[in-house]
Amino acid sequence: MTYVVTENCIKCKYTDCVSVCPVDCFYEGENMLVIHPDECIDCGVCEPECPADAIKPDSETELEALAEIECRVFQKMARDSRSERSTYRC
Amino acid sequence: MNTHQTLKIIDNLPDGELVTSVKHWTNRLFSFRIERPISLRFRSGEFVMIGLPGDNGKPLYRAYSIASPSWDEELEFYSIKIQDGPLTSKLQNIKIGDRVLLRPKPTGTLVLDALIPGNRLFMFATGTGIAPFASLIRDPETYEKFAEVILTHTCRNIAELKYGKVLVESLADDPLIGELIDGKLKYYPTITQENFKTKGRITNLLSNGQLFSDLCIKEMSAESDRAMICGSMGLNNDMRKILEARGLSEGANSRPAEYVLEKAFVG
Repeated sequence: MTYVVTENCIKCKYTDCVSVCPVDCFYEGENMLVIHPDECIDCGVCEPECPADAIKPDSETELEALAEIECRVFQKMARDSRSERSTYRC
Repeated sequence: MNTHQTLKIIDNLPDGELVTSVKHWTNRLFSFRIERPISLRFRSGEFVMIGLPGDNGKPLYRAYSIASPSWDEELEFYSIKIQDGPLTSKLQNIKIGDRVLLRPKPTGTLVLDALIPGNRLFMFATGTGIAPFASLIRDPETYEKFAEVILTHTCRNIAELKYGKVLVESLADDPLIGELIDGKLKYYPTITQENFKTKGRITNLLSNGQLFSDLCIKEMSAESDRAMICGSMGLNNDMRKILEARGLSEGANSRPAEYVLEKAFVG
């Protein structure tokens, strides 16, 4: 299991999730943050912290497809040397 | 991975923090203390990533609640031993003078900041889930914010209660906490698989009211009571239902409310 960021994150700039993540597994996408599924330790701290209620466990059935999309995002990021860690951190 | 890459990873590993004491409580449970880096600040109840170098030279980390309070000069951890566990199979063998890796970012939701003010604070723990509460019951701020603190600890066997029992009993003579906790801290151990004065799951003892009658305290209410939960996924889910049925809602650092629970706990 991991956690995924849903569409409520789009254009959100709170970044409370980034502040509390113990392993810094949030990355900056085009207009939202994404969680690296291999780095996330499933601690769940980010879920209640998100003011937009955008972070959910991927065990929720309807989010499995989204988790796969985020996996592909990271596969693309791995290929793209320009991608960098989130710069949102305060 | 080639040799050059392996050496590069080992070169980049931090030195780790020195182990200052180790105590084995049962063949499945142990606690240990390590030196605390001056730069490491945390709030009582938070967890941090600790680890050891893995067989491939890459560090292997797991989330561990810090069992010592925020004012302590050392860091204490309470761990289960899993014979084929990637980390605990090695961690259980550490000795004084060994080093444990520590990542520098404590975090967590079992903190006083994530709760709105209240009169009583209930802490519900199973197994090694008592660790964050071992930190919080040694923090004076807990008693400044709450008039009464009720710590419940449920284990399968009586021997597994010992870490918590010894800790709670030692607090009465603690020069910093001793006077503060006088009459304020109530400890409620329960056992599920052996005969014991308080037998059964805490969810049952809470639902049927025995917890309150045993301690001679009034029932929980969302108006005056706050709660923290640290246990198995089953405990988390069941307690969540029980507390929400009583009108308590889940809080977080950014949104303090009536109860918080730890999802990182796996012991």
